[in-house]
Amino acid sequence: MKILATIQKEFLLLIRDPGGVALIFLMPMILVIVMALIQDAPFRDYQEMKLEVIIVNEDNDSLGKKIEEAFSGRSSNVALIHKSDTVEAKNLVLSGNYKAAVIIPDGAGESLRRRTDDVIGKIFNNPSMIDSARQASVDLQILFDPAIKENYKQALSSGLEKVIADVQIEWMIDELQNQVSSNKHKKVKIDFAQLVSVKELYPSKKKTHFKLNSVQHNVPAWTMFAMFFILFPLAGNFIKEREEGSMLRLRLISGSQFPVMAGKFGFYFMVCLLQFILMTAVGVYVMPLLGLQQLALGGNIAGLLLTACSVAMAATGYGLLIAVYFNTPQQALSFGSISVVILAALGGVWVPVYVMPDILQRISRLSPLNWGLESFTNLFLRDVSTLAILPDLLKLISFGIATLIVSVFIHKSRTIS
Amino acid sequence: MSNAIIHIEGLRKQYEGASKPAVDNLNLEINAGAVFGLLGPNGAGKSTMIMMLCGLMKPDAGKISIMDMNARANGQIIRKKIGVAPQEIALFPTLTAYENLFYFGRMYGLPSSAIKTSIENYLHVFGLTDKRNKRVQTFSGGMKRRLNLIAALLHDPSVLILDEPTAGVDVQSRNMVVDFLQTLKSKGVTIIYSSHFLEEAEKLCTDIAVVDEGKLIVRGTLSQIMHQHPDCHNLEQLFLKLTGKNIRD
Repeated sequence: MKILATIQKEFLLLIRDPGGVALIFLMPMILVIVMALIQDAPFRDYQEMKLEVIIVNEDNDSLGKKIEEAFSGRSSNVALIHKSDTVEAKNLVLSGNYKAAVIIPDGAGESLRRRTDDVIGKIFNNPSMIDSARQASVDLQILFDPAIKENYKQALSSGLEKVIADVQIEWMIDELQNQVSSNKHKKVKIDFAQLVSVKELYPSKKKTHFKLNSVQHNVPAWTMFAMFFILFPLAGNFIKEREEGSMLRLRLISGSQFPVMAGKFGFYFMVCLLQFILMTAVGVYVMPLLGLQQLALGGNIAGLLLTACSVAMAATGYGLLIAVYFNTPQQALSFGSISVVILAALGGVWVPVYVMPDILQRISRLSPLNWGLESFTNLFLRDVSTLAILPDLLKLISFGIATLIVSVFIHKSRTIS
Repeated sequence: MSNAIIHIEGLRKQYEGASKPAVDNLNLEINAGAVFGLLGPNGAGKSTMIMMLCGLMKPDAGKISIMDMNARANGQIIRKKIGVAPQEIALFPTLTAYENLFYFGRMYGLPSSAIKTSIENYLHVFGLTDKRNKRVQTFSGGMKRRLNLIAALLHDPSVLILDEPTAGVDVQSRNMVVDFLQTLKSKGVTIIYSSHFLEEAEKLCTDIAVVDEGKLIVRGTLSQIMHQHPDCHNLEQLFLKLTGKNIRD
């Protein structure tokens, strides 16, 4: 009854504080939308982004044409912009208008043919073919904007190298047939693409699969961040009550210490869950309206709710600890907000943990936000059972209980000075 | 046989970093049903003594027993039987008068019906019925003081401790509070009354103790004390004689 009374009191205090309500519900929703939109492009990366590349094709052989064909294919992520002048192409890349320019100089195809002939000539001991390879080779060039992302650069380079390798193999096979068949048989046209292909698959128990995208990462990540920011209203109200004197009255009421703490914990725990529900609803219903992917929740709804409850416990416990430990709102809110930002950064809220240095990856396993994020990622993308996320859930629950116990202990110890 | 409800023996408390104790070897007995005036200038040790009486502060030495129970060992039980109106306005400003009182009533563990009856009664007594649904932050200083007092009365305590209950309050509100305390006195409630308003103390208190620099200077009924100092014509003169005219902060 006393706990329920405290929950009701906390509810009244919160709804009469419009700033607090905005901080708890409105700001996180805006935050998660903004972060998902901002990080959408980096998450889409090369797979979905169309990269505009200048091509200067001065080659009179078929190599230039083959490269153009390869990059103009429907599955290519490159949009070619034809230019006839190398200097103009350089200037356009230098100005940052284009990320790269592929220069196929005059004689590039001829040079490749000579190299191919060289190999075949050595195999068939044909000195005339070997001799032709002694001439200087002509290389292709890619001009990169210094600001280009490394993965775009690598993708473009490897794409170009693959086309050249394909053309070289095709010409080699042609020349081999020329040497072997000696016009007795009709030449066979070989489709190299059908020989070996690589299929990208994601292991999943279901027919559908979800891969990490901006929404799948940002919604759980920033939802947890917002849940941990519950310390703002929690610590703010708690210290205000202490300063204004209402906490003194409660200290004077026998047996009120535990119900007060439990009531506050219970109320803000529910607020955290409401935050989670609202932010998840934003991911499912609002994100698609903004041109983003819809948040996929996976199939383990019970596991999802358990994770949300565990994160809520950890966040509320942490907020309560900050509230009881510090004496002034300035101390509590400054320490609280900076510590949550650090825990979030370490936990992989901003950048995935796997891109961090080894030492930070090890430290990140100490962040409650990392436990929660791992659990959400496992549920959303790997569709795991509750048993698989149990270790992370136990860590979150233990953290929540430990911080609650320490908070009650500190609060009680300060009740009698 | 002693009728004392509160025994204080050798009580001492010195704050960390302070050069002298806030309460120094205090011995006191307060009789059941008495209105005990605890008087003294600022920094005399009144609030420290009240905090120790409520069990919110551990004494460095000495013993307090209330209703034959050791205050330190039985703080939980004792706090159920005492009501405290602290010097601070111990209320939630954004809650209404009714919401504040109802919440504190529930924290006392009272049933809802008893809380409602009690609230209506006290709001009527203290002239706050029409303000019951107004937020405390909109109240005047006097209204807040009266509400602060009601919050200490909801559970019908046998001992009522009032720390400056009329500080910063207009004459009408003070009069209303003093009249109510007279009623409680007639019902046999023991009241420990700390105040700077000596006229109020003169009017209300059956026993008076003057403390200064943590020490008990004088103790007795008003007539006993005045008899000991025939050169003083009223309590204020006596107070100034005992505690001096120097400003205290």
